[in-house]
Amino acid sequence: MVRVQTTSLVPGAARGGAFLLIIAMMFFIQRLAPGGGVGLVLALGFSLIAAGLLGEAADRIRLPRLSGYLLFGLLCGPYLLNLITASMARDLQIVNAFAIALIAFVAGLELNLTRLRPQMRPMLIVGGLTLLGGLAALTVLLWVAWPWLPLPDPGPPVSRLAAALVTAALIVSFSPTVSIAVIAESRARGPLSELTLAIVVMADLALIFVFALAMQLARWAEGTGAADISLLALLSWEVLGSLAFGAIAGALFAFYLQHVHRALTLALLALCALLATLSPAFDFELVLSALAAGLVVENIAPPAGDRLKDAVERGALPVLIVFFAAAGASLQLDALAAIGWTALVLAAIRLGLIRAITGRAVRAAGLPAFPARLVWMGLISQAGVTLGLAALVAAEFPTWGAAVQTLVLALTGLHVLAGPILFRAALARAGEIGQLKAAAPAAANSPT
Amino acid sequence: MPSSRAGAWRLPRWPPRLPRQRAALGFGSSATPPVTYVLVGIAIGPQGIGLLSSEALGNLDALVSIALAALGVLIGFGLGAMARRQAGGLLVSATIEATITIAVVAGALLVLLSRWGLPLPIDVRVFAAMLGLCACASAARRVDKAAGTEASRAARIAELDDLPLVVLGGFTVAVLGGQAGAGLDLLLTVGAALMVAAAGWLLVGRARNEAEHGVFVAGAIVLLAGTGAYLDSSPLLGGLVAALVWVWAPGHVDARIGNDLKSHQHSLLALLLIVAGASIQWTIALLWVAASLLLFRLTGKLVAGAVTARVAKLPPHQLARALVPPGVIGIALALNLQQVFDASDTLLLSAVTVAAVLSEALANMLGLDAATTPEES
Repeated sequence: MVRVQTTSLVPGAARGGAFLLIIAMMFFIQRLAPGGGVGLVLALGFSLIAAGLLGEAADRIRLPRLSGYLLFGLLCGPYLLNLITASMARDLQIVNAFAIALIAFVAGLELNLTRLRPQMRPMLIVGGLTLLGGLAALTVLLWVAWPWLPLPDPGPPVSRLAAALVTAALIVSFSPTVSIAVIAESRARGPLSELTLAIVVMADLALIFVFALAMQLARWAEGTGAADISLLALLSWEVLGSLAFGAIAGALFAFYLQHVHRALTLALLALCALLATLSPAFDFELVLSALAAGLVVENIAPPAGDRLKDAVERGALPVLIVFFAAAGASLQLDALAAIGWTALVLAAIRLGLIRAITGRAVRAAGLPAFPARLVWMGLISQAGVTLGLAALVAAEFPTWGAAVQTLVLALTGLHVLAGPILFRAALARAGEIGQLKAAAPAAANSPT
Repeated sequence: MPSSRAGAWRLPRWPPRLPRQRAALGFGSSATPPVTYVLVGIAIGPQGIGLLSSEALGNLDALVSIALAALGVLIGFGLGAMARRQAGGLLVSATIEATITIAVVAGALLVLLSRWGLPLPIDVRVFAAMLGLCACASAARRVDKAAGTEASRAARIAELDDLPLVVLGGFTVAVLGGQAGAGLDLLLTVGAALMVAAAGWLLVGRARNEAEHGVFVAGAIVLLAGTGAYLDSSPLLGGLVAALVWVWAPGHVDARIGNDLKSHQHSLLALLLIVAGASIQWTIALLWVAASLLLFRLTGKLVAGAVTARVAKLPPHQLARALVPPGVIGIALALNLQQVFDASDTLLLSAVTVAAVLSEALANMLGLDAATTPEES
């Protein structure tokens, strides 16, 4: 245990003093040596300490730590203090794939199929209804309201419908990464965590198909491409290949856990590096691969004791800090300024739709109202995947795609800030925060 | 078939038993000669089997900066430990020894390189001075108690000669690569290191758990490295300055950070040396420069050993024995210099690395490890 006081300073004052010192150092360096050399390592160290401290401060006022990391990125990023410049923010995203692999692997470790099997049907109903209901409602709404939105006209009604469908698919998407990170950092376990986790993972999977089909429809409507029968094969390769690749990687890691069980943190980070490097190379979906790896480890060869959890905790914290600090620094505030009111209205509509649809879906699935009716609060976050898809739309449909990308950038900025706060509040109301640590000793003592 | 009878012919033992040595001041000793990693780097580098491509080497630049900063911190902690043992006299001796070595190597190389007229990436005077600086490091062999206090003091002088190299190297890197002017860059490097050290002192020891403690330690080291990389100055010097603050500040912060770093010291060292090995570009010029460096380093160390032995009141052969093995700080400094030069020409780094490998082999061939024994309590 390392918690030893070094001086008589109050811990809060010491942390505050350290934070100010680091900020002052960055300020002086950048003012006295403007346009310096390589900034990646400087931004990495700065984020680790300062964002870590802000995350801890957020935790003290019962906000998610990752909101603190995001806030740090936003405050110190290119649009405000500019201590993390635009090029540094871009360089910091080098950790993105690695962080996503780690976060999804941790999510897989939380999905014990034996425990989840009885709830599988209601989870499918809630997830399916939420995604399809949200998609249908938003498509109709966007199709009707398009002429009044600050978006270029896509053309005839069919083209407008296709554009509305593509935009709705982007707006309705969730962020498994953020939801999983909130669950992991608040050590939550319980029905709400499991339901949310299942829905975001399922939605991520379904979104790959929905988005691809919507894009195909848009191509057909714009006359830029014929319907492609190989599409289904490509999607199957992406989904099934991801799951198979992740399962193999997970099985190898499980073998390591069973027979070598040394340097676990290093082995875990190596596994994530492997997944992050090889998944894009084979056109696999990284989240699915890493999730499958975690699932295999948890359900086929679960490690004894807390050593893997300790390794995850040690390895995950710095990765999460840098990942979300970089996300905060990369938020496009100019997009929010340009299209702010439209984004705010759409965000409010999306929130209302998700809340209304999940409420009905929970009743239809026969789930107990509490805590399941709080699940909408875990579905607000949006992050990187949505931005990546928006970039594809902008590249393929320059007439209206670029404006849609700006809208999605603004919406993501709002959702990534508000989503974690709402979800943590829901987990707190459901009494699930901290339950993972409490459950671990009980699980260790239970007969196998 | 070799016989086991006394006096019968015997096969030399394989693998040969090598003495345990410290790669640098502040490091734990290891039986694996650090230069082994250089050979690994040569094998897997772009001019070997190509496992580590030129592009991959460029991507490792950030990690090299971090390893350099960690190395600086470990050297600072080692210096602090020496200071607690009141080794001020030995530090003076080490400084004299390092100065003489630098002067001999740099002077001789300046004359030779000027006559040869080799195409060099920088001015011949600066190039010769850099080689002299990189050549002055020694790796102390671990000595046991039975070897006596003289052997122990000689080993400490060999360890302490890393210090002038880090300080002078820090100045040199700031002069050669500075973004805001040499003086201001040096001031910023030292000032930033002091601020990071103060922040680290405030944070380490107040972590809520092991994970947060790890984040604070890693953050401080990465920040020291980042300052160096951003200012094109020396992460080694920044690390040294921060470590000295941690050593002298209350609260045993140095022990906590040292515990964390020591568990990674061999990985960091391996990274630096593999990158150095993989960066070697084999040319005729390299062979000439490396051979000259090897020869002049040996001469410089013997001359410096003879002079310093009088000051430190040590037998010259004892000091020479401790000074010849090369250590890795010279290679680390060369890597740092390489970061601030044009990356396409690695003659300086290549020459320092090849000469270090040859010096290590020479030290073993000359039996300079003869007096060492396996362990010190």
